[in-house]
Amino acid sequence: MLSPIQVLCSDITTLSLEPEPFASYTEADIISTVEFNHTGELLATGDKGGRVVIFQREPESKCEPFSQGEYNVYSTFQSHEPEFDYLKSLEIEEKINKIRWLPQQNAAHFLLSTNDKTIKLWKVSERDKRPEGYNLKDEEGRIKDLSTVTSLQVPVLMPMDLMVEVSPRRVFANAHTYHVNSISVNSDYQTYMSADDLRINLWHLDITDRSFNIVDIKPANMEDLTEVITAAEFHPHHCNLFVYSSSKGTLRLCDMREAALCDKHSKLFEEPEDPSARSFFSEIISSVSDVKFSHSGRYLLTRDYLTAKVWDLNMESKPLETYQVHDYLRSKLCSLYENDCIFDKFECAWNGSDSVIMTGAYNNFFRMFDRNTKRDVTLEASRESSKPRAVLKPRRVCAAGGKRRKDDISVDSLDFTKKILHTAWHPTENIIAIAATNNLYIFQDKLNSELH
Amino acid sequence: MIMKGQKRKHPPEEVEISDRSSPMWESQRQLVFSVSLNKYHHGQELPEPSLRRSVLIANTLRQVSLEAFAAPSVDIEVSPPPCSSSSALHKSVVTAKQHPAETFSNSHSALVSCPTVTLNDLSYCVPASNAPLSLKDEDEDWGSLSKDSDFSLSAAISSILTALDSTIDSCSQAAPRTPLRSLENLSAPSDGGVAWVKQGLRGYGGGWEQQEEGREWESSTELMRCSYLSELTVEDLFQDIDTSLLERDMEVLGLIGSGGECPTGDDLLRYLPPFSSSPSHPFSLSLNQNLKCLPSLSSFGPLSSSLPSLSSPHFSSQNHVREGLDLEHLMEILVES
Repeated sequence: MLSPIQVLCSDITTLSLEPEPFASYTEADIISTVEFNHTGELLATGDKGGRVVIFQREPESKCEPFSQGEYNVYSTFQSHEPEFDYLKSLEIEEKINKIRWLPQQNAAHFLLSTNDKTIKLWKVSERDKRPEGYNLKDEEGRIKDLSTVTSLQVPVLMPMDLMVEVSPRRVFANAHTYHVNSISVNSDYQTYMSADDLRINLWHLDITDRSFNIVDIKPANMEDLTEVITAAEFHPHHCNLFVYSSSKGTLRLCDMREAALCDKHSKLFEEPEDPSARSFFSEIISSVSDVKFSHSGRYLLTRDYLTAKVWDLNMESKPLETYQVHDYLRSKLCSLYENDCIFDKFECAWNGSDSVIMTGAYNNFFRMFDRNTKRDVTLEASRESSKPRAVLKPRRVCAAGGKRRKDDISVDSLDFTKKILHTAWHPTENIIAIAATNNLYIFQDKLNSELH
Repeated sequence: MIMKGQKRKHPPEEVEISDRSSPMWESQRQLVFSVSLNKYHHGQELPEPSLRRSVLIANTLRQVSLEAFAAPSVDIEVSPPPCSSSSALHKSVVTAKQHPAETFSNSHSALVSCPTVTLNDLSYCVPASNAPLSLKDEDEDWGSLSKDSDFSLSAAISSILTALDSTIDSCSQAAPRTPLRSLENLSAPSDGGVAWVKQGLRGYGGGWEQQEEGREWESSTELMRCSYLSELTVEDLFQDIDTSLLERDMEVLGLIGSGGECPTGDDLLRYLPPFSSSPSHPFSLSLNQNLKCLPSLSSFGPLSSSLPSLSSPHFSSQNHVREGLDLEHLMEILVES
């Protein structure tokens, strides 16, 4: 059972563990991406206002062996500002679309953040010591009167309050005509790729003035455009392999060794359409909104509007497993099309051992599916049900007019404005981060923590 | 959420309709088409619409149109797929993506460039039968009320309005201007062709008398025309028109009546194409009949009082017949149903 270890509000000025009445928020506070780093020690969130907030997990206290490490704000910085494209007379949103951490190679942490057009590499470093005892400057920094200096001293590093410094190290700009939807760091730790609606570019982390185009699906005549790229990711171990998904529900695995331009895929993963289930919205709901390699690199997890699918890289003809996330919406597709909910892009996540997958839904519900036991659970991320140390209660959605148990919620009562689009799972532990509009919830598996 | 005391209504779309022969399928198809059309236009109004969303909507439109063409129980004759509204819209979507800053103009030019959207095609779009539409409940959503004839006419209207846009787009390819387009711009810019169509429907009689349908028409075409005409004046649209030949005809047609202070009347005549010396048009015999539909023109504000009767002796001369040829021809097409 998952218990909330912390309920956080993205507006850090009102950060509190006490449940508060739900205050109105600005659109800039809406969380647009969540990502754990490779050790799980840091958790980064990006919002629509272009800000990045990094949380750090407090080390578990030895005095309280069962206390769970809590995540506290580590650093906040403005990653992207609104820009104006003068050529097209368009404003470029500062919303952070994706954050990806680089593997840590020294004391500093590096992350990539991107908005629609520009990717930036940020260095996050700590400073907890400062030199004292300068010869030419006094403690306040004023230049000393040289006549008063009688002897030389060696400055000594003295401890100071921890200061987290964030600085932009690289800015990768002007390489995307269309909106960047994905970034993915390669396992070689030297390159990364950025994908927009029609193209994927390969960058070197040290080179900002050029990138290499590796996928281009833009047709010669834009009138022939029927498909766009929706997500892309590098293989976790093979630096030559990457996958990208499309709005038509296909996945393409590409090998960069085959050709410089990987328009021709190595493998095409596509499930044939069930003719009996065909509707006007078949294509829209088949559009893949997220794709993630498993940690092992053997499987792919994809999310389309109604399902989550696990694919085996060795089998292109159909998915290995299909999980119905909210099939009760299948009869509501017309309404969801009218109110644009059908275009929502839900993300998905693997747990550390690739045995459980997780994805979000509406009404602040999120779903987890155990691949081994085939059990699934629906949980809600809300202030009312997420008091600290409380155990989350499984929820159930019943069909309209169907038999209803206590605490069940009817399909017609779902709040489609509350959607869990962004979720993240700790790389090794059962800790999950759920972004619900402007709130960030962090839940931990109580059972597992008790076993420690 | 159903409040206490409110009667629950059966949701109209409980069941996923995959049976094409079901009447619900057709109505849902039309609903999807109209919603998609709506979405497309709203998306075009955004400064930078999402490409994924636009592509998905365009694909849905195309699919819905193709299914309409393939459906066995369709009553109407729909214009051939090569240039259905959906494909035209799709072209506009993808063309617009090239130059987001010129989305407004480019999309329209792409729509106009669709080669088979002609008056002939529009004639196919009117319903084959004159069956009067049943009276709808007033509280039903306009989108769910679209029937075959509504749908086809809305397609016709949208085609007309898109054909209109070539004049809006200063960067577009040279699109042939048709008389239909000129009439579309007769009234004050904010009216466009919608009021004209509405009045035309009302004036025709038959099954078109219900106010509700007129309102539905207005609302459906309203959305289409708003994005095209909202910020333009008539003068902007027709700066390149040579009016010298037409001015004298205005008097003959009686459209510049007493005083002649009818801006819309001027516009009407200014933009009638110059007539040629061709022999009597076969339509001339039916001119009077068709012109009886022209009471729709009376909806153009100040013009209303100065349009005594277009079937007056003013039209007796050959020249005047020819002048009205294009006018009545397009009227015939649009109103004939």
